[in-house]
Amino acid sequence: MRKLIGIMILFTTLLIAGCSSGSDEASGSDSGGSDFPTKNIEIIAPASPGGGWDATARSMQKVFSDEGIIEKSMNVVNKPGGGGEVGWQYLKSKDAHTISINSSLVITNNLLGQSELTYNDFTPLAILTTEWNSVTVAPDSKFNTGAEIMEQLKKDPTSLKIAVAPSLGNDDHLSFVQAAQEFGVDVTKLNFMIYESGGDVLTAMLGGHVDVATSSVSEFKEQVLAGKLKMVAVTSEKPIEGLEDVPTWKEQGVDMVFPHWRGIMGPPDMTEDEITYWDEKISKLVETDAWKKILKNNEWEDYYMDSTESAKFLEKQMENYNELLNVSGLID
Amino acid sequence: MGVDFQHIVEGFMVAIKPINLFLIIIGGFLGTVVGMLPGLGPATAVAVLIPITFGMDPTSALILMATIYYGAMYGGSRSSILINTPGDGSAIAATFDGYPMAQKGQAGQALTISAIASLIGGLFAIIGFIVLAKPLAAFALEFGPAEYFLLFLFTLSAIVSLSIGNMVKGFISMSIGLVLSTVGVDLQSGVHRFTFDIPQLSEGVDFLVVIIGIYAVGEVFYNYISIDKLKKEKKKVGSKWITKEQWNQTKWPMLRNGPIGFLIGVLPGAGGSIASMLSYSTEKQLSKHPEKFGKGAIEGLAAPESSNNAASVGAFIPLLTMGVPGSGTTAVILGAVVMLGLRPGPLLFENNPEMVWTLVDSMFIGNIFLVILNILLVGLLVRILDTPPKVLYPLILVLAFIGTYTLSYSMIDFYILVIFGLIGLGMKLLDFPVAPLILAVIVGGDMEQNFRKSIVAQDNFLNVIVASPVTIALTILTILSICYPFFIGWLRKRKQKNT
Amino acid sequence: MLRLITPLFFIFAGVIYVVFTFNLPQAKIGDPNGPLYFPAVIGIFLLLMSIVYLFQEWKKRGEKMEKVRQLFTGRTPFLIIASLVLIFIYTFLFERIGFLYSTIIFLTGLLFVVNGRKQWIKNILIAVIFSFITWYSFAELLNVSLP
Repeated sequence: MRKLIGIMILFTTLLIAGCSSGSDEASGSDSGGSDFPTKNIEIIAPASPGGGWDATARSMQKVFSDEGIIEKSMNVVNKPGGGGEVGWQYLKSKDAHTISINSSLVITNNLLGQSELTYNDFTPLAILTTEWNSVTVAPDSKFNTGAEIMEQLKKDPTSLKIAVAPSLGNDDHLSFVQAAQEFGVDVTKLNFMIYESGGDVLTAMLGGHVDVATSSVSEFKEQVLAGKLKMVAVTSEKPIEGLEDVPTWKEQGVDMVFPHWRGIMGPPDMTEDEITYWDEKISKLVETDAWKKILKNNEWEDYYMDSTESAKFLEKQMENYNELLNVSGLID
Repeated sequence: MGVDFQHIVEGFMVAIKPINLFLIIIGGFLGTVVGMLPGLGPATAVAVLIPITFGMDPTSALILMATIYYGAMYGGSRSSILINTPGDGSAIAATFDGYPMAQKGQAGQALTISAIASLIGGLFAIIGFIVLAKPLAAFALEFGPAEYFLLFLFTLSAIVSLSIGNMVKGFISMSIGLVLSTVGVDLQSGVHRFTFDIPQLSEGVDFLVVIIGIYAVGEVFYNYISIDKLKKEKKKVGSKWITKEQWNQTKWPMLRNGPIGFLIGVLPGAGGSIASMLSYSTEKQLSKHPEKFGKGAIEGLAAPESSNNAASVGAFIPLLTMGVPGSGTTAVILGAVVMLGLRPGPLLFENNPEMVWTLVDSMFIGNIFLVILNILLVGLLVRILDTPPKVLYPLILVLAFIGTYTLSYSMIDFYILVIFGLIGLGMKLLDFPVAPLILAVIVGGDMEQNFRKSIVAQDNFLNVIVASPVTIALTILTILSICYPFFIGWLRKRKQKNT
Repeated sequence: MLRLITPLFFIFAGVIYVVFTFNLPQAKIGDPNGPLYFPAVIGIFLLLMSIVYLFQEWKKRGEKMEKVRQLFTGRTPFLIIASLVLIFIYTFLFERIGFLYSTIIFLTGLLFVVNGRKQWIKNILIAVIFSFITWYSFAELLNVSLP
């Protein structure tokens, strides 16, 4: 009880502090990057409260302020819509005090022709975390490995109903496409059923309404541990902690590692000093115990890269996604 | 499996710890308040409170969030009754008879009966939870695309059939709702439909904006017509205590709609809006005097209120037995407890039974607290009606805009809100029923997606209908509910001939 | 004849919707026409029902529409148009000058229009207090991000 009241008081004071520091924004000098930041920090979650992007943004806000890494007050701003598009449009018009969560959607939206924006329009600051994708079947399914599923699909690509959420062209979908393609499956004929959320895929899977599901490992882990579902492949480099029996695609003879990453980017045209500031703060963030605990609770894995590495990483990802979307038949 | 008395009692001891009682009170109060405000529903309320639950014990956090959830079910109908503005989807049905009751000077009784109905629905669902959680969860999983498609179709037909004597307008209203539901990205193909390159539209038109527009904004515009005439006439609010006769009229509707709401709540993918609408239409069709419905029939208020609260309890069954969120709000709750390091899944019941039962017991305490709170609040709330309309209506407009902004933080929604305000005004002037449109917006998208998935799964439409006993039953119910108004019309004509 | 405007409007809307539907892009995965079946069925159903509605109204064309007439009496048209203008201004200001100030302006304006100029002290007081309370409870207590 005391904790709750304490937090409430903390919140109010933080916000009051935030407002008062916001008012000297006009007087803040722009003599050089060393004074950065001069006003409140905004972290954009380009989604509604309650999802992975929002959770990442709010966790960052909490650890940054609790651990005293950033003294300025911080706000999480939710800008949902268009698979990140709305939030990133907003980011584009801001200065270096605003940063946003991103993911592979910042690349695929553009490739799919759904957005003018791409990662080149922003300043990559970091890659933070990753989850891994998985292929899951019912516990009494005749398939015991991912390879067996692919062999069947090679013979008849339409023979299995594959559940995915929440849209075509996302990592869950494309990681499956990439694996299938390695086995020589005609991926344009695959029978995907698209559900609104990971929870819906889980329900459909438990009810036996689909044959195969491709999703994040974390969404199905509990069910697999309980023996309600059987996971037959993961996209990580090494087997997942707690699910050591599940073979990686690499162990099944496919040379692929497919992360489902989340990162941070800033508006275009940031100065060297501003980039350095964020590099320093974010590298401190990922070292804290509080952050590590959040990763563990959410089953996220640390995937930290600084601004330079992220830029290179995004470039490589771009090539990979371009190829995958081509073979999947989503773009020509 | 039998009833696990030992854990139920242990859970109760945890639930009455001071910290948990305190959270129930906070959650119940907050839930009631956010339920009342248009737009700010339980899902948003829980989501914005996630940072506060950081560092809390997972059980306590679950109790807090659950109380907010069903607290909002109590609160949602307050504004439906008093100002004809539902707080969210599941409170729409409360406007049908609740608002007419308030206009007749029975606002106090309407508020009281809806709180009591919520309590009865909630208590029924808690007992249902204790006895039937696991078999019901297994049953809910049987619902595949075909079953959901037909369930949505049945709900729509039941609502359209409410507009007896006006079926054509009902169908037009429904079609417009369905047209709206096709705006956005088509999930199955990724094709953008009717979005006109506006990114905010890619996720479709939010049904809550439609509700706030048609009810809150439309109602304000409509009331401008009579605003100068309402000058000095002081509205009577009447007693808040219900009469014995009212109790007799409502006790059966409350009891039989608890189970309906509970069962629909258990289904992941249905929810409070569908539960309350179905209950309303069932009650109207069972009633001996259906003509009184919509004009302030107390059963027409009690039935959906009992149902939607039972649905909110039912929605916890898939979450706690299988780790599957049964509604938008439980999905947010799942996300929040995951951040606290707890992963609800099939093992939760085996590994942490005391936690599950603590939550269930807290619901019991919470519902009793909420009914007391809400009855105590009646006296305060009816004073809203004392506010001169010339001040009240501008305030409602402002609240409508704020509520809309909190939904998706976008200015596009403001324009959509105004458009629906004008549509709502037009519908009232031309006597178009509003419910079919809103329900169609709520279920339209899911209905189409499930239809297309079921066609992929079953090859053709006939196979979809005969896929399982459930689909056959739902098909028959759909046909019956469509034929019902015509049958009634035929009966009336025959009566007229005879006399 | 006034009665026929609504059904004709629905028919017009139905035609537009059906035309748009048949111009939807084809799906690149699965059934290429998948995205348009459902909208096509709804569009045609809406058209059919609107035509039936047109006939119904045609039969009643002599009757007067009391409710619609009320809309054009007294202050009503002015109130609605003034509210729409204020809403438009509010939408324009909302993200530019922030929630609190824009709401105070909007609410004061509305109260002046609806409640009348005579009670100006009351209007301003209500607008300021109400805006502040809502801003405080949303932004501070509930931590909802408002501009």
